[in-house]
Amino acid sequence: MRVVIAEDDALLREGLVLLMTTKGIEVVAAVDNATDFLAVVEHDRPDVVVVDVRLPPSFGDEGLRAAVEARRIHPGLPVLVLSAYVEDSYATELLADGSGGVGYLLKERVGRVERFLEALHRVAAGGTAMDPEVISQLLVRRTANSPLDALTAREREVLGLMAEGLSNTTIGDRLAVSDAAVHKHIRNIFTKLDLPHDDNGGHRRVLAVLTYLDG
Amino acid sequence: MVAPALPDGRFRPCATITAVTVKERFGAVERAVGHLTGSGGTSAAAACAVVLLLPVVALCLVGVGLPLVPFAAGVVRPLVAVERRRVEAALAEPVPAPYRAVEGPLRQRVRTVLADPATWRDLAWLVLHGATGLLLALLALGVVVSAVALVPAPAYWWLAPHALEVSGLRVDSWSSAAVAVPLGLAYGAVAWHLPLVAHAQAVVARGLLAPAAGVVLGDRVAELTASRAAALEAHGAELRRIERDLHDGTQARIAAVIMQLGIAESVHDEDPAAAMSLLRKAQDTATGALAELRDVLRGIYPPVLSDRGLAGAVTALAARCPVPCVLEVDGVGRHPAAVEAAAYFVVAEALTNVTKHSRAEHATVGLRTRADTLVITVGDDGRGGADEDAGTGLAGIRRRAEAFDGSVVLVSPPGGPTELRVELPCGS
Repeated sequence: MRVVIAEDDALLREGLVLLMTTKGIEVVAAVDNATDFLAVVEHDRPDVVVVDVRLPPSFGDEGLRAAVEARRIHPGLPVLVLSAYVEDSYATELLADGSGGVGYLLKERVGRVERFLEALHRVAAGGTAMDPEVISQLLVRRTANSPLDALTAREREVLGLMAEGLSNTTIGDRLAVSDAAVHKHIRNIFTKLDLPHDDNGGHRRVLAVLTYLDG
Repeated sequence: MVAPALPDGRFRPCATITAVTVKERFGAVERAVGHLTGSGGTSAAAACAVVLLLPVVALCLVGVGLPLVPFAAGVVRPLVAVERRRVEAALAEPVPAPYRAVEGPLRQRVRTVLADPATWRDLAWLVLHGATGLLLALLALGVVVSAVALVPAPAYWWLAPHALEVSGLRVDSWSSAAVAVPLGLAYGAVAWHLPLVAHAQAVVARGLLAPAAGVVLGDRVAELTASRAAALEAHGAELRRIERDLHDGTQARIAAVIMQLGIAESVHDEDPAAAMSLLRKAQDTATGALAELRDVLRGIYPPVLSDRGLAGAVTALAARCPVPCVLEVDGVGRHPAAVEAAAYFVVAEALTNVTKHSRAEHATVGLRTRADTLVITVGDDGRGGADEDAGTGLAGIRRRAEAFDGSVVLVSPPGGPTELRVELPCGS
């Protein structure tokens, strides 16, 4: 897998490069600004890009905009956006084009190396990786009398993991329950929320769940 | 006859007599009569107001009438405003309303109204005008009617069935009719000077209705001093809160991380498994510290503001609001960071109130800049009846606005709709 990294903080950038190379992932370029990032993507055609939201010169949302721009030029280019904080509207913008291969994670998730790499691979394969913080921001907004109130605590947990983009197997592993149990929870959730059943765990299911949560 | 020198305004002077100036003078007399007749109307209203205010004053003297004060001011001030418009028209110059902003809880409103010198000047005007306005109106009409009726008396007195009686003069013979002409001319001479009377009335009224010299500036200084003190107080409270959050949360957790790492290092050789579990714990603790730090930062200056500016940040707030929210942003550029942060928190707090309390189906957020003032409006079609004295949300909004010398107006009748309007000056 060939990766391009855009991160202005040298410590983090080198950390990411080190982490990936030790895990056998090829880092074709690691840059510290949006202009270089777009040039490198154009030149090297990576399998997945990892981008910080805030990049110089103005330290606004250049990274995010560069990621959206890169996906506009190369439709379907898998993008994993890292940030020091989550803003759920950014997630909405990343997902706006409807195609898969989108990730949006807090920077400290990199520290959970196995999960981070799992998310990176999922995004590279066209899946989704949403930070649990995004999901909880979306959940906080729900007002009273939401159909979500009908979910059991376990079902809410499963819903959150689905929204993060995890596959049924991974959800089962995380919760230490059988595949069959996960299927049952998911069926219940979709019935209670009146969503079309979708058992395969792909990007379409994530989109459906996130769109539902987004109200 | 040479026209007496007249001051500026509607009853303008004419230096020399020509056909044109005589015509103008007749126009001035006509307008003066109109103005003075109008005084009769406002005078009657002022007299009624005085009569109605007497029981309020009596109740205030024994203490129980104080809550009525803002309502009494609410009745009197529109009446005074009518006179202010009339004086403006008469003097052809603006007469600004001198009132201090009446807002906040009832107790504060009572205090504002009573402490406002304009309240007492209004009261003085009510008494003076109630006593004199009607007399002036009768004088003006009487003088003009007398002049018009007496001067041509010789031409028509004999048409009257018995005798013609005008202004105390009984015209029933040619000789008395001959007296009527000079008397009528005398009335006419008085009428000729009515513009002066009208002008004098307007000048006296302006003296009481316009802001007293120095009061506007004095009030402004007092307001700015208060808002500066509030800003300092708010800033101090903010610093203390941030210090406490960082000290109790982030700092303590990072200390714990260092401790966990140190212990892990010391036990590593004897018990690698224990060291590993400590490393994981340290990672969890650091993650928690980071989450807390994020919350603190969000409270100091929301990161989305640096990323996107105020319009972008408020767009994100509106998009996040569970109540469908229409956003109207009009010409909002960048403002000082503190003002933007205050505006962001105001909108966030207002939308939280809409979500929690209004039961609204739709909300609107408006953001515009008018003459160096950032105007924020948040409206909803909910059940209304929002009470600033009841909740802390609105009080917080007011505190933030006042720290910037801003203003807050909440209109929320029971049954709705509710509109909150916050203005934040942001000129340098």
